[in-house]
Amino acid sequence: MKNDLLANIRRTAYILMGLLVILIVYISYVQIFEQEFLKGHSLNRRNIEAAATIPRGKILDRNGEKLAVSLPIKDEKGRFRREYPFGSVAAHVVGYDSVQYGKAGIESSLNGYLSGMNSLGRSFGPLARLFGTKTGNDVVLTIDSSIQTIAYQALGNRRGAVVAIDPRTGAILAMVSKPSFNPAEISSQWDNIASSKDAPLLNRASQGLYPPGSILKVMVAEAALSERIASANSFFDCTGSLAIGKDYTLSEDKQIAHGHLSLKEALAVSCNVTFGRLALDLGRNKMEKTFQRYGFIKPLPDELQESACKLPKFNNLSDGDLAQLGIGQASLLVTPLRMAMLADVFANHGVMMKPFLVQKIVTVDGSVIEQYEPEKWISPANENLANQVAAMMIEVVEEGTGSAAQIQGIKVAGKTGTAENPHGDPHAWFIGFAPAENPQIALAVIVENGGSGGGAAAPIARKIFLQALH
Amino acid sequence: METGKQERNLLLISGLITGSGILTVSFLAKGSLDYATGGIVAGIWMAFLLVHLFLRTTGHNGDPVLLPVASVLTGLGLTLLLRLSSDLFYLQALWLVIGLAVFTGTVFIFQNPDRFAGYKYVLGGIGLILLLSAILFGVDIGGHRSWIIVGPVRFQPSEFAKLFVILFLAAYLSERREVIAFATRRYGPLVLPQPRFIAPLMAVWMLAMVMLVAQRDLGSALLYFGITVIMTYMASGRFTYIALGAFLFLAGSTLCYFLYSHVQVRVDIWLDPWKDPNGKAYQVVQSLFALGSGGILGTGLTYGYPKMIPEVHTDFIFAVIGEELGFVGSAAVMLVYLLFIYRSFRIAMKTVNSFSTLVAAGLAVFLALQVFLIVGGVTKFFPLTGITLPWVSYGGSSMVANFVLLGMLYSISEVRRNHEK
Repeated sequence: MKNDLLANIRRTAYILMGLLVILIVYISYVQIFEQEFLKGHSLNRRNIEAAATIPRGKILDRNGEKLAVSLPIKDEKGRFRREYPFGSVAAHVVGYDSVQYGKAGIESSLNGYLSGMNSLGRSFGPLARLFGTKTGNDVVLTIDSSIQTIAYQALGNRRGAVVAIDPRTGAILAMVSKPSFNPAEISSQWDNIASSKDAPLLNRASQGLYPPGSILKVMVAEAALSERIASANSFFDCTGSLAIGKDYTLSEDKQIAHGHLSLKEALAVSCNVTFGRLALDLGRNKMEKTFQRYGFIKPLPDELQESACKLPKFNNLSDGDLAQLGIGQASLLVTPLRMAMLADVFANHGVMMKPFLVQKIVTVDGSVIEQYEPEKWISPANENLANQVAAMMIEVVEEGTGSAAQIQGIKVAGKTGTAENPHGDPHAWFIGFAPAENPQIALAVIVENGGSGGGAAAPIARKIFLQALH
Repeated sequence: METGKQERNLLLISGLITGSGILTVSFLAKGSLDYATGGIVAGIWMAFLLVHLFLRTTGHNGDPVLLPVASVLTGLGLTLLLRLSSDLFYLQALWLVIGLAVFTGTVFIFQNPDRFAGYKYVLGGIGLILLLSAILFGVDIGGHRSWIIVGPVRFQPSEFAKLFVILFLAAYLSERREVIAFATRRYGPLVLPQPRFIAPLMAVWMLAMVMLVAQRDLGSALLYFGITVIMTYMASGRFTYIALGAFLFLAGSTLCYFLYSHVQVRVDIWLDPWKDPNGKAYQVVQSLFALGSGGILGTGLTYGYPKMIPEVHTDFIFAVIGEELGFVGSAAVMLVYLLFIYRSFRIAMKTVNSFSTLVAAGLAVFLALQVFLIVGGVTKFFPLTGITLPWVSYGGSSMVANFVLLGMLYSISEVRRNHEK
């Protein structure tokens, strides 16, 4: 009978130990397979605690002005609060950092550096403690906070966006989107901000998609010159409207007939008939090639978080739509960032620099971890033609629709746009650069439903030029 | 002498593990190792080695794995308590030293286990009184109504009751093994034991149900009922007892589920803790967060947030292991328990007399059930029950009782060896 007892015990031992082995397997499920769910759960206060005890790195503008900074909380040792001295002015560039609602902007795209924990170290658990720094690194942006502030103020209470670039380097000097929000209030005001009809969280500068309207004419002019469809000596006749096929007519604003005019004059008065004609002469293939040449289908670096531009299906365009495309309408949608880059081509003698927002990343003790150098991105136009178009753009401001951007003593080049859209009044556009002979700033301004580009957008550009060149 | 060497080497290794844990916590939490902490840890290590030397030189030659396993687990417990609160660390260190003394005493007292078999009704009576005293006079401390306060002394009788109950059951069952196994009666298609042999089972079942209802202690109810049913099965080889026991317990708990809201709450939390994560299921949800945040390698000692979990130093200490030491740590602890339970069953099966065999097997079963219930509860594998993690959780009663258990196993493993000579 003794053996019987042992057999019973053996069976019991197997079952109980098997139960514990099953439990170990279950624990591995919780700790390994469910860890992402449990770690990231909104009720898991570890994330708040961890965020509050790490002094995140500062976000600085090009002159060392603080755009975001972690300050110690009084009375609570070892805990920090994120503050944004520029508030809503630089909200879309800097972004926000909220435990509940996540991160956006630079706070999100450079979180690895700002939190001092790069993604490699994080998965190594305790080993990361040996290498990890206890404070975050500072991120120095290319933004100039004085230009950013002027642009923000100049837009006033209107919806819209401004992007300003140093054409020589591609460094982004200002990126403003309106309406804005205060990043410090993102957690307390989330419901108001997120559900607002005006979409303040949307970065209109890099993610807002708009028809470009007449500002696109500078590109069509360059294409016509380079494809030898027009030259500096070509003349056009405008009767106030252009009949295309049997049932479509492209017409000027208020049916004004511009008469007999050169390409330069046509750009200065923004003649729709001339540019509709040029687009038809270029044809679908060459128009498509032009958009490719100007980088519209080439994505930008991730940190800029752009929305891709919407180009029409060129092969399916009717003649009417092709002519519309020549004046920046049809189904084309672009971002203000891409339009600032378009101005950059003519400011920089045909070369488009790679736009960048982050200049360098610096540790607390000042040593540079990463440094970003200006980089040539694409060369859409040859120097001679680019300079010809630039000269036409000076004419736009001096003699044409862009006169509201004139500055005494400084030569300004530009192009206005008044983009028809299904949401009400036309969007007011201005792209341009200054000083024209030695450009230091290129920009794009859009005022949503602002009316005419010359009336609403050009004066904003003027204020920004003044601030940048004073 | 071979086993003596093994025990010494294993104790040296376990001391290194504890030492590195204490050093890590001291330096990360306070910046330096203070003399008091260093002295205490060195002292405890010395105490383990002294107990080892004393037992080996007085001719004892028990299983060499038992003492080192207790050393590793108590060392881990001390490391975690130092990390949670130095007050608890000092008290636990004191209890550990008392535990070691009690262990040594038990090894001597239990040298001839058979003489305890004769006092089975006295032992059973003490066990019953201990359990009943907790039910009748239990005071609520830290959410458990399982404390007894006598003058300046407060202790948890249920921690000690297990030793008496197991001794009683082993004696009772080893005497009546044949009868219980073969005295059956046929009820239609069912073959059931005769009513007079089911009677003790029914009595423990009633006791368990009272614990569940009056003390709100699902853990103890399951433990004591489980040990009775499983020991009866081991002695008789009749699976009927397990089936009957499972049926009785399920029936009883189902009834309690519908009659008592607190039982309902426990089960509902287990089924879906995310329904009320900030209310009733708070503890379990916080424990799951800790385990998940630990991941595979853990956050590292002192880098977790264990204080977000209520009762973290006793019932929920496993969640701290999971968070700061990761799955690697929690699996290692589970493997140490598996090793200990395996050794205990081995001791049981190598022992010649059926009383000692049943005592050792009973202790092994009890430990296995206890680890399964508390770890399963903390990880939501099983409804949460408030019991301690042996040798790791903070608590004097549990520490001392578990060292008595260790001493009993050590002695029984010696009986076998003496017999072999």
